[in-house]
Amino acid sequence: MTVWRRYISTHVPRKKVSIIGSGPAGFYTAYHLLSKSPVPLDVTIWEKLPVPFGLSRYGVAPDHPEVKNCEETFTDCARKFSSHSEKHHFEFVGGIEIGKQIKLAQLLENQDAVILSYGCNGDRYLGIPGEQGTKGVFSSRQFVNWYNGHPSVAMDPEFTNFNWSGVRNVGIIGNGNVALDIARILLSNRIDELWKHTDVSTIALNCLRKAPIHNVKIIGRRDFLHSKFTNKELREMWQLEKYGIRGNISREYFSENMFDLGSHDRAFKRRVEMCSEYLKPFDQRTKKNFKKSVPPPRTQEDRQWKLDYLKSPLKIEKDNYTNRIQSLTLSHNLLTEDNRLIVDPNGKEVTYNLDLLITSLGYAGVPLPEFSELDIAFEKGHISNEQGRVLNNDGDLFPGLYASGWIRKGSQGVIASTMQDSFEVADRVIQDLLQPPRYIYERKRTVDIDLSGTPHTTWADWEK
Amino acid sequence: MIRHLSPLLFIRNIATTIPISTASQLTFKTIAYPRSRRLIPSYNQLSFFSTTTIRHHGHIKKPEPGEELKVTFVLKDGEQKTFDVCEDETLLDIAQGHDLDMEGACGGSCACSTCHVIVDPDYYDALPEPEDDENDMLDLAPGLTETSRLGCQVKMSKDIDGIRVALPTMTRNVNNNDFK
Repeated sequence: MTVWRRYISTHVPRKKVSIIGSGPAGFYTAYHLLSKSPVPLDVTIWEKLPVPFGLSRYGVAPDHPEVKNCEETFTDCARKFSSHSEKHHFEFVGGIEIGKQIKLAQLLENQDAVILSYGCNGDRYLGIPGEQGTKGVFSSRQFVNWYNGHPSVAMDPEFTNFNWSGVRNVGIIGNGNVALDIARILLSNRIDELWKHTDVSTIALNCLRKAPIHNVKIIGRRDFLHSKFTNKELREMWQLEKYGIRGNISREYFSENMFDLGSHDRAFKRRVEMCSEYLKPFDQRTKKNFKKSVPPPRTQEDRQWKLDYLKSPLKIEKDNYTNRIQSLTLSHNLLTEDNRLIVDPNGKEVTYNLDLLITSLGYAGVPLPEFSELDIAFEKGHISNEQGRVLNNDGDLFPGLYASGWIRKGSQGVIASTMQDSFEVADRVIQDLLQPPRYIYERKRTVDIDLSGTPHTTWADWEK
Repeated sequence: MIRHLSPLLFIRNIATTIPISTASQLTFKTIAYPRSRRLIPSYNQLSFFSTTTIRHHGHIKKPEPGEELKVTFVLKDGEQKTFDVCEDETLLDIAQGHDLDMEGACGGSCACSTCHVIVDPDYYDALPEPEDDENDMLDLAPGLTETSRLGCQVKMSKDIDGIRVALPTMTRNVNNNDFK
């Protein structure tokens, strides 16, 4: 019976779909296509690295392993459709960068649909003096890649040869979850139980353990109201108090009664309550949620973290002999009545002495080299698109080309929102495959994609 | 390409046209195939292949007769489905075990909001209060309501026998009419 199914399976006329990127965006798009498409499909996921899963593997904090459970869904999906007895067929091709060994133009010629899901893999910069060429200044993306063991940077001497034992004062610029992930690993670097069972890079953890880390400032250019991190991550910071690691927010930037709570959403109200409670001494807290484990008595040596607001970095000073960072100078900011951010005309500049500065400004989307010659529109850090259908520079739909995930919308949102996005785009791909819009031309299919000469990894290789 | 003898080889005049059916129209594409590959099945025969969805790690137990608890799901299109389930099964496992359209991206570990359900107000108070972890995830759920919960955190019990929950849609606002 299986012989018969295999026979039919190899003769079924399938539509060919290529997805570039094997992170949550790419894989959820594949998963939805394979679950829902009435049209038989031949889905190929192309991945630059030899291993799949993108940011799920290299971006998620090692102490949040449950967030990576989506990889199980992806694996089941890949296994099921890699067999030859299903309506759809799936292939994973690793170690191939689209634009290098295989061109995007080739895929567009050969496939019925191409979906760009390669995410945002560039850095954003402060653009201030001292940012480049100073030891001890790192982008969050590189730093996270390093402690997650990303092959491009896991053993990079910039990190491994850095003088971690001299790091007492840390500054992190940014107010997203990544900024808090980084603060958390630095502050709890020597707490064995938190990292023992994770797959954090041992090279990185051993380096980080050398750092005495006395205080960490998390600096945002706006105010408490605009912090983009989520309550879960903030709560984890406060809960470090059970190890004697204390958090603080200056009264200038936070007090319980500062906000008109009625006009804010539930998440913000819960945040205000959380911070007010944790800022109180343990025995003065009023809700049992915040009294779960008694912190040790305060000492001078306690590590501290601080949420610092309304400051923008101006320049980084370094030691001229060692090139290591010495300090960061910042301006004071004001938010005007109509919510614009300006430098406080009456504010003085402030300088923090720092041994380590991490810029956590978000991931930047980068256009593929062929975009300009193919006339694919890219602006504001993401691919121009309408509901996932890619646009050219005239604003017209580019036939057969789609985008999902961060490269479509910009680098924000958690895996669940990327999943939602991928599902929507997959639905549009299915829609177009069922009833091709008038502009779809017949693919010439003259160019066959031949990987026989090119080294690459397959799903079977990955499973070993 | 594995070539092997198949009984169908003996049937001549198998169509060399491939019907590609869509919901509203049928179009035909004629393809010239060499004789040995003429046995291309028609599109309709593709139901021959398995079309079960991919998930389902949870194994739903069948309840003992007399000990069934009932749960009703209001689906995105308004359709209602009722199931007999065991105590302690989570709504997520029940939904996935019955092929409903509920995702559990984090595998039911309270680390995402994809199993978000809206509980019938009549039953909401019978549920134990959500922990901070669950509330933190609910904060991020689109279409959050006063009676929202995560499906992976709600376990069936006698206190909530007969509970009705709605799967949220992005476009539709759930209101009391869904529970009439």
